[in-house]
Amino acid sequence: MPSFVRYLYPPVFLLGTLLAWFAVSEWWQWISPTRFPTPTQTAEAFRQILIQGYGNGRLHQHIVQSVLLVSLSFTISAALGIALGIFMGASRKIEALVNPVFLTLRPIPPLAWIPLAIVWLGLENSAKVMVIFVAAFVPSVINTFTGIRSLEVPQREAARMLGIRGRAYYFEVLIPAAMPMIFTGMRLSLQASWTTLVASELVGAMLGLGSILNQAAQDINPPMILVGMIFVALCGWLMTYGLGRLERLAIPWRPL
Amino acid sequence: MASQRSNGWSENVRLSLIGITLFIGCWYLAVFFEITPRRFLPAPHEVLFQFARLIQEPFTGFTLGQHLLSSFRRFLNGFLLAIAIGIPLGLLMALSRGVQLLVTPVFESVRFVAPIAWVPFAALWFGTGIGGPTLVIFMGAFPPVLINTYRGAIYVDRKYIEAAKMLGAGPIRLMTQVLFPASLPSIVAGLRISAGLGWQSLVGAELIVASSGVGYMMVKGQASIQTQIVMAGMIAIGLVGLLIDILLRRVERRFNRYQEVH
Amino acid sequence: MADIRFEAVQRAFVQGGKEFLAVGGIDLVVANQEFVAIVGPSGCGKTTCMRLVAGLDQPSSGRVLVNGEEVTEPGPERAVVFQQFALFPWKTVFENIAFGLRAMGLGKTEIDDRVNRFISMMGLSGYEQAYPHQLSGGMQQRVAIARAYVLDPGVLLMDEPFGALDAQTRVVMQEELVRLARKNPKTVLFITHAVEEAVYLADRVVVMSRRPGLIREIIDVKSIREKERWDDHPRIEDVMDLGSFVHLRSHIWRLLREQHLGDDQ
Repeated sequence: MPSFVRYLYPPVFLLGTLLAWFAVSEWWQWISPTRFPTPTQTAEAFRQILIQGYGNGRLHQHIVQSVLLVSLSFTISAALGIALGIFMGASRKIEALVNPVFLTLRPIPPLAWIPLAIVWLGLENSAKVMVIFVAAFVPSVINTFTGIRSLEVPQREAARMLGIRGRAYYFEVLIPAAMPMIFTGMRLSLQASWTTLVASELVGAMLGLGSILNQAAQDINPPMILVGMIFVALCGWLMTYGLGRLERLAIPWRPL
Repeated sequence: MASQRSNGWSENVRLSLIGITLFIGCWYLAVFFEITPRRFLPAPHEVLFQFARLIQEPFTGFTLGQHLLSSFRRFLNGFLLAIAIGIPLGLLMALSRGVQLLVTPVFESVRFVAPIAWVPFAALWFGTGIGGPTLVIFMGAFPPVLINTYRGAIYVDRKYIEAAKMLGAGPIRLMTQVLFPASLPSIVAGLRISAGLGWQSLVGAELIVASSGVGYMMVKGQASIQTQIVMAGMIAIGLVGLLIDILLRRVERRFNRYQEVH
Repeated sequence: MADIRFEAVQRAFVQGGKEFLAVGGIDLVVANQEFVAIVGPSGCGKTTCMRLVAGLDQPSSGRVLVNGEEVTEPGPERAVVFQQFALFPWKTVFENIAFGLRAMGLGKTEIDDRVNRFISMMGLSGYEQAYPHQLSGGMQQRVAIARAYVLDPGVLLMDEPFGALDAQTRVVMQEELVRLARKNPKTVLFITHAVEEAVYLADRVVVMSRRPGLIREIIDVKSIREKERWDDHPRIEDVMDLGSFVHLRSHIWRLLREQHLGDDQ
């Protein structure tokens, strides 16, 4: 009986929420539609953006723009961040060299780079890439670095005893040991990238999910705002899920 | 053996100094060779001077200190609200499976909305009043508090809970006198993360919907291409964020010490 | 062919600003293919001795020689079995065992051949593709032992290898190790604090004293074992019942108790 109930729960809950929404918003009008959209309004807005388009494009164009930009920037940024993290982790000298610069730049929140990025690169995509880069770079470096340093002493000594050196040491000992933390860093980087992208698009963009929010806010269009938010959440969730599956593939040995 | 260690340490210090000097040096070189016009890339000392100047002279109506205070007040609002709701709710969820089942789906679905995406609604409901940024900050600061409180509480050894129940503790006393102290390390760790995220969300919110505060100041600086102001703002934000983090780390350490003695 | 020589070996450590001698002054020879166990109270420096031979540590004075050459760094000729297993969690059982051989540059067929031989010898058949976390402690240590043995080292160093196992698994592993050591004799330095284990496994038992670690006494077990024909009893509990075994064990216990007594004063 209990496990049966557990599978039933999410759809029942969803249905319940939907019903509650209908009731509160449309039937009893406890919340004014100018404050929070009704389900029918939202469905209508969704239909509109899907078919006719809103704010310079149709829904799929916005999604593609945002997701593509994030994926590109995140990949570059994470790759570079992981590489730096590996070097810093493997060599105390490199760590000493890079750390102070890192520590000074780190407290600055990624979103705080937006005005500077706009000054330097305008409202083009390149400005967004720059800010996403800053946002995604730091967690990747830190978590990779921690991961590399987390190699336990017995395993390190075992590797020395076995005569593992050079490339084999990096690729078959250090990096695999750091993989769990590297993926933690990637997860944080992805979240940061996504948040930063939405923020950048909110500030000024022609296309993208954030621009939908921006346009809808200016037009005072609550249903469209909600549609935008739903898709921000959906895409964010999907990408995190995708990363999770990638992690499952890359780390088959993890007792999950 | 001992001398070897101290040599390594001072070498690291030297390397760190070299690193930072290189960074500032490259910056000055870039300014010197006018990679971009001076307006876009001011020299480091110009930024520092601007920083000092902002402390005295108002920009867009307020001095740096006043802007910071404004920002910090908003941050505190959202952060304290997140704590006030997050900790009790997290404890309740750990105590009652029913509550956990009720809250989790709502939480999980809303959580994936980047806090910044709440800005339009915040603007709609609160205008540029204090409610707007507070909502955004709350959305950023709330998840870590809830998650860490919940996780800390469910991992509390069942023995303590059973002992307390045997002694006749009701749910409220269970929460305040058993679960809460036992989950404190996890909660405090969550507070640190939460403060960081809250401070970040604040910056984002102020970039878009504010009439005062450091984020607003930076936007105005950007609009009039006074890059020194933008950079001074970044430094101020970074410093305050760092201070908050250091403070919370101290708190965390004090609580961890308590755990270890225990 | 490998023997171990400790020549006036000392190892000093600095802790809290003060210097203390972990190993006070050791002269010891372990002959080729001899199985020597070192027992002693905790902190007597026995693990340090092993680490010196392994090359994971350097003596403060004196020399440690293996096969006439001074030890400077770790290597597969002096294979180590760690107490915490130290397997690589991201490699399968097969890969863990093969890793050292690959680093030595051996060809694939030879590696496969040797690894498979030891897998069956250590009772790991069927687990080649398993990951360490899927195995029990005893199985993991079998992999660690296989990994060391497969290198065909001159010297085998074992640092309380069964310390992390539960009592029953420990006994099983002791029996297996004896069988393996008789079939594949190597020069072994075995560190343990369990006296029975030392007497059961070793040819000679070195009893060390408290800090600074010095050799208190060296007991020749092999001659007694051969004279009393312990090998006639394949089961460990039967051997441990023998009068000669008990006598040796008690003797070592008394030596160790002296150390603790001195401690209480």
